[in-house]
Amino acid sequence: MSLVTRSALKRLLVSLAVGALVAVMTGAPGGYGVPAYTGVHGSFFEHVSYFGLFRTQRWFLFLTLAVLAWLLLSFYKAHAHVVQRRLEPVTILPSRLMARRTNRWVLIAVVVVVTLFIPKFVHQQFWMYLIVEQIGVWILLALGLNVVVGFAGLLDLGFAAFYAIGAYSTAWFTGVLPTPAPFNHPIPTLWCIPIGVALAMIFGIILGIPTLRLRGDYLAIVTLGFALIIDDFVGTQSGVTGGGEGSLTVPKFDLNAGFFHYRWGISPTPYYYLCFIFVVIFLVAFTALEYSRVGRAWVAIREDEVAAESIGINPLKYKVSAFAVGAASGGFGGVLTAGLIGNINPTLFQYQVSVNVLILVIFGGMGSIWGVAIGAIIVQFVTSYLDNYQPWGYQLNDLYMYIGALLIIMMIFRPAGILPSRRRQREIHDFETAHEGHLDEVLTGDEP
Amino acid sequence: MSSEILINVENITLRFGGVVSLRDVSLNMRRGEILAVIGPNGAGKTSLFNSITGVYQPQEGTITFSSSKAPPLSVIGKKTHRIAQLGVSRTFQASRLFSALTVFENVKIGAEDHTGIGVAGALVKGPRTRRGEHASDRVAIEMLKFVGLFGEANTIASQLSYGARRRLEIARALATDPQVILLDEPAAGTNPSEKLELTTLIRRVRDEREVSVLLIEHDMKLVMSLAERIFVLNFGSVIAEGTPEEIRANQAVIDAYLGTATEETSA
Repeated sequence: MSLVTRSALKRLLVSLAVGALVAVMTGAPGGYGVPAYTGVHGSFFEHVSYFGLFRTQRWFLFLTLAVLAWLLLSFYKAHAHVVQRRLEPVTILPSRLMARRTNRWVLIAVVVVVTLFIPKFVHQQFWMYLIVEQIGVWILLALGLNVVVGFAGLLDLGFAAFYAIGAYSTAWFTGVLPTPAPFNHPIPTLWCIPIGVALAMIFGIILGIPTLRLRGDYLAIVTLGFALIIDDFVGTQSGVTGGGEGSLTVPKFDLNAGFFHYRWGISPTPYYYLCFIFVVIFLVAFTALEYSRVGRAWVAIREDEVAAESIGINPLKYKVSAFAVGAASGGFGGVLTAGLIGNINPTLFQYQVSVNVLILVIFGGMGSIWGVAIGAIIVQFVTSYLDNYQPWGYQLNDLYMYIGALLIIMMIFRPAGILPSRRRQREIHDFETAHEGHLDEVLTGDEP
Repeated sequence: MSSEILINVENITLRFGGVVSLRDVSLNMRRGEILAVIGPNGAGKTSLFNSITGVYQPQEGTITFSSSKAPPLSVIGKKTHRIAQLGVSRTFQASRLFSALTVFENVKIGAEDHTGIGVAGALVKGPRTRRGEHASDRVAIEMLKFVGLFGEANTIASQLSYGARRRLEIARALATDPQVILLDEPAAGTNPSEKLELTTLIRRVRDEREVSVLLIEHDMKLVMSLAERIFVLNFGSVIAEGTPEEIRANQAVIDAYLGTATEETSA
């Protein structure tokens, strides 16, 4: 068999397999108590209309889609260079536009103005709450984790722990937990911001100093353990943290500067602006960090720890500082959430939360501040939409199946994220070219 | 060249489990000299470098470094980054640049002061942070001009030619304002004309920047033309030391490099 037909056959088989998989993924659930094959059976033999044209079964729909995909793939393979050449002016346009400083500032100004007017366009309170709780706060969390994972290259699997520390210290200091507030003197929620941030940071440093000495992935395991401990602690110590119920009465934010008094009430709009201010502060601050002495030291350690040490960089110190900045952001997100929702309970801080934030960072582009912010908006918006409207037979339990598929596709086609950090992209590229044809090295992790 | 001793290695022994990498090695380096360490593969040359820079901790012996910034002190037990801050800088056998950064950024990182924490400074960007930025910019530009890479300042480090990478590594090491620079096979993998450039550059490092040079190299022509004194290592021990002429005539060195019939009986 000639080489061309063989690769064409391979593509056809892959398209068919992917089609079958998509059919199962989007098909009817198996459910409990029914034979395991019913889900699969239903996925293929359920009756559907063929794009509203005629009635058929699902297998036919997905078979034709797979063949269509195969035809497209075959066409693209044969004419890839022509397609790429024709598309090049279009694909290069955005980066060429952004290369000019004025254009960049115009874009930023437009984004800021549009964001400022969002509450005018969104009339449903429900969606405003969603934007604040599910998008605003999560941008902050993702930006914080990005410092740890993206800048310093440390894998933190327990980010939720710092989020919980921020939220519970708010509840503690405002005196709404079963434990009395320190010195029996509850303080306003706004004052909890520095306290929650500082506490989370201290925990981060205490956790970081012994573990960051070690090389490799010990940090991932330790942070994972730490998150599980915190999760367990807040869930079971009813006498201290309120147990599974948590606290339902965290006071709202209240700014009292003597001459000026403002109280955040029930309407989500003021929270939106509060969140907006903090997102802007985070964006500016972390951009400054990235291009500072510290940011460069983080890159140096991430790329080559031995070389970094040889020019006088103390890896431990910089790793701990990255970890502390991340922890502080997590704590900040916790305080904000507590003041925002007004009630906190352990389900908000489960292990899943750490994974979710990590997914936002990976999706947006590790180390890319704007990428992470945009990635957080996209992923959080889509998941909230799916959760609330459940279109096309989507079911809540399926979320991670789709996210898993999304991540696999991302890793194959865009490993550096949707809006990659330039430095990170180069690192991945260098790694690939350095290891071309040396699969053993890639597998065993040998250095080039 | 003054007679002041800059690095004094005394009777160090370095073991990895049962394997002895360095056996009772002593070596002294004077301020302002170009000193070479040669020897066959596996003789322990890089282990010696790693011991001086704190990557490995020898089990026995002492290493003293007499910085002009501080009184003579023992290097053993100190962390690598601390030793680098004291003024011992190095390059690596396989070049270890920060390949995703530009040429300029690579050198600037070397020039920066890494003793503070810096996060607060980076966020506030006060006058002190700005002064620091300007100072390290100046040093980076100066070093790039010194090694002749200023024209490539905005190139990504991984796109440089092999010889240019070597020079960039030297620029990065020099940017840390060292008293001594340890070069681990700087000419490995370079072509003859690059080798010549490198020889001139290394001599200029000593003459113009007044940085002492400790050199490991296999290329005998380069070593003989550059080094003022040579130490020869074989199987983890110093077997000879002296000027290039003395080393060239030394029977033990010739034996080590060519192998002899007597070696088996004596070993």
